[in-house]
Amino acid sequence: MALSSDVPAGATRAVRLMGEELVAWRSAAGAVQVWEDRCPHRGMRLSYGFVRGERLACLYHGWEYGTGASCQRIPAHPDLTVPASIKVQAWQVAEAGGLIWAGRDAGAPPTLPERSPLASLSIRCAPARFLATIGSGDGPMVSTTRGGVSLHLGWHQSADDEFMLHAAVDTGTDRTAALAVLRSLRSDLEAEMAA
Amino acid sequence: MSLEPAVRDQWYTLGALADFPTGTARRRLLSTDIVITRIGELISVTAAGDALPVRTDYGHLWTTLGTPERALFDMPEVRESDRRHVHCGAVHVRASGLRLIENFLDLAHFPYVHTDILGSEERPEVARYEVEQRRDVDELWATKCEFFQPRAAAAAEGGQISRYMYRVVNPFNVMLYKTPPTAPNRWDVIALFVQPVEPDLSIAHPYMLVIDDTSTDAQLIGFQQMIFLQDKIVLENQRPRLLPLQPGRETPTRADLSSVLYRRWLKEKSLTWGTEERSDRAA
Repeated sequence: MALSSDVPAGATRAVRLMGEELVAWRSAAGAVQVWEDRCPHRGMRLSYGFVRGERLACLYHGWEYGTGASCQRIPAHPDLTVPASIKVQAWQVAEAGGLIWAGRDAGAPPTLPERSPLASLSIRCAPARFLATIGSGDGPMVSTTRGGVSLHLGWHQSADDEFMLHAAVDTGTDRTAALAVLRSLRSDLEAEMAA
Repeated sequence: MSLEPAVRDQWYTLGALADFPTGTARRRLLSTDIVITRIGELISVTAAGDALPVRTDYGHLWTTLGTPERALFDMPEVRESDRRHVHCGAVHVRASGLRLIENFLDLAHFPYVHTDILGSEERPEVARYEVEQRRDVDELWATKCEFFQPRAAAAAEGGQISRYMYRVVNPFNVMLYKTPPTAPNRWDVIALFVQPVEPDLSIAHPYMLVIDDTSTDAQLIGFQQMIFLQDKIVLENQRPRLLPLQPGRETPTRADLSSVLYRRWLKEKSLTWGTEERSDRAA
């Protein structure tokens, strides 16, 4: 659902997944979590919040959520022991191959060689066309070689006719050349859609 | 679309009177097109050719699509001669008007949304306050609210414990009373008149009746607009945009007493316009 480099320590990132709004965030110590982008208190999007150490604080009222997505602090009531029932909806999360992977009721996380994150691009394209061109492959990522450059592609569908493509490369790859190949791949897909 | 009585039979503002010069203007209220025609002091308001009731109180134009049980609410402070009457503009907000009212009633966000102005992250505690449904006038009141504010108003020179009262006069109109920095024995009045345009689109018309001899109008308006634009960021990013009334959808705490009472009051009125569809009730 994102490149590992899209979510540096201390940052949040809003991600749309099949119309659902999610937030990925990375703690100061480097742990990534993926949650519903909605504070259970008043529905504020948590991607607008601030990472404070190992917690994510909501912008609206400063409620802080930690590991396991449970609320640790309600600033309006400093003496309150926060009930364990106050939790954000959390997704399973893993990092592999330069990407962040999220799932619900998903099996074991993908096992992938270490790769270098390149770039994420949004592509306006119908699902059938996208999958026919990229190819669904055997594993979680598809590898394609164009113009002598190998791209390793992960993706998720963000909306009805929009995909986010997350590209990683083998270490030592010429990144400028790889970016040009990635952009031409997008142009081809979008041109086919327009035709 | 048919409107339930709880929203149809209420008074709504269409904006400040000054925003309706001689001629014809078009507005939208409760998903209905409205035409306003002004000739001199004479103002008529119509929807689909039908004339609607008109009021011109508190510097604003008011109308209704139904037959309100009560006269337009009274704001006695408007008759106190030493108050400044300040219109703070019209702000479009992509959210339910009910969310706007609820945010206006909220103290706990001051340190986080209006940081170092209406609240400080060092002092975020919300002390217990009192809420009351006044059934004789069908209003909600929150009283004995206190909060530490680093810069409570345009004329503030330092931090103070501000005292607040809130008065909800109908589902889309609310006012707060707070201690002015320059006259601690009086109450400033800040009203928020909400024009519900669509269920998830509103226009906020903040209006102040304040005691302040020093600030210019531009300073007063600038302060209020700064505060309101900070609120707008939150209001447009709450999910869902419509107010959820279904138990368990959101999580109130003691600081949210006024929100709890407000939502209970809306349910008691069977109000659904601007609220999230419920899955726990038969349609």
